[in-house]
Amino acid sequence: MSVLAVSAIKNLAVVLQNAPKQSWLSRAEPTLLNFMMLSFLLFVIGVAGVLSRRNIIIIFMSIELILNAVNLNLIAFSRYLQLNQDVLRQGRLPGANAMAGPVFTIFIIVVAAAEAAVGLGIVISLFRNRETVEIDEINLLKW
Amino acid sequence: MFQLHGWEAALFYALAFLTLIMGVFVVTARLAVHSALFLISTLVNIALLFILLRAEFVAGVQILVYVGGVMVLFLFVIMLVQTRAEEESRVKLYTGQSGMAVAVAILLAGSFYFSVMPARDSFAPSDSGAASLIERGDRSGAGAGSVSHDTQQVGEALYRQAALPFEIASLLLLVAMVGAVMLARGTRQEKKEETL
Repeated sequence: MSVLAVSAIKNLAVVLQNAPKQSWLSRAEPTLLNFMMLSFLLFVIGVAGVLSRRNIIIIFMSIELILNAVNLNLIAFSRYLQLNQDVLRQGRLPGANAMAGPVFTIFIIVVAAAEAAVGLGIVISLFRNRETVEIDEINLLKW
Repeated sequence: MFQLHGWEAALFYALAFLTLIMGVFVVTARLAVHSALFLISTLVNIALLFILLRAEFVAGVQILVYVGGVMVLFLFVIMLVQTRAEEESRVKLYTGQSGMAVAVAILLAGSFYFSVMPARDSFAPSDSGAASLIERGDRSGAGAGSVSHDTQQVGEALYRQAALPFEIASLLLLVAMVGAVMLARGTRQEKKEETL
């Protein structure tokens, strides 16, 4: 079964690689725009999770989704800059640095880890005092 | 131009589909544990997308820090605060703001569509040979035996151009660690400290 699947995938890859330059196929090949769309959809899923869920831990997870969407966007743009560096250096973006994307991504991961640690500490402290993680019932600062 | 070909294109669509499905499951799962497991799957998929974008170092960091560190922290906290009511599916899952969440999502989708669609043609690959030649050379050189320079470049950028933020990040991690320990301390431990 798995051999069959592997051979099917190989056949598909061969077909995709040897396909003549058809317009619909080359249009379907992902560019920077497709990465931006994916990252954007992930961002929207995260925003919807933050706005609609009641469990505060799942809200934290949605924030992680949002941060990952941003990371994906940064890496995709970094790759785009890397491939077009010569063109951009001659053109309007002489100071474009393709390595800024990964560096920013690493800092975002660091900040996300710190945020998760502090946030989950607050959740534990809150659960110890109020016996709940539902944000509807945590209205101490609301008046 | 930046465009994926052949099996990379197929892999992109598969990974994108999986990432989005798992992301939706993260938001809609009833139990927080299931949500965390789906989030792990999403993060691994995003790491694979990073590898597809030739950012191997960031993919490794993503797996090590997110999947290995942050998600274990999440699972521990879920274990500590899991309530019986949640398991027996007696609780409401969503706040009263679900309608507003959908409205905001649609608004964002519309704004993205109308801001990107005018520039859509400029993302399409050009037929000029020079750029695609660079790309093809990059592709043919990225076989199983070749060494990627991504890690080296990221390391140089981190230590040369971003050395000060790098040190500040270490300080931030220290402060976050101390803060998390202080926040999660129990009342018993606080009393013990007062008697000392």
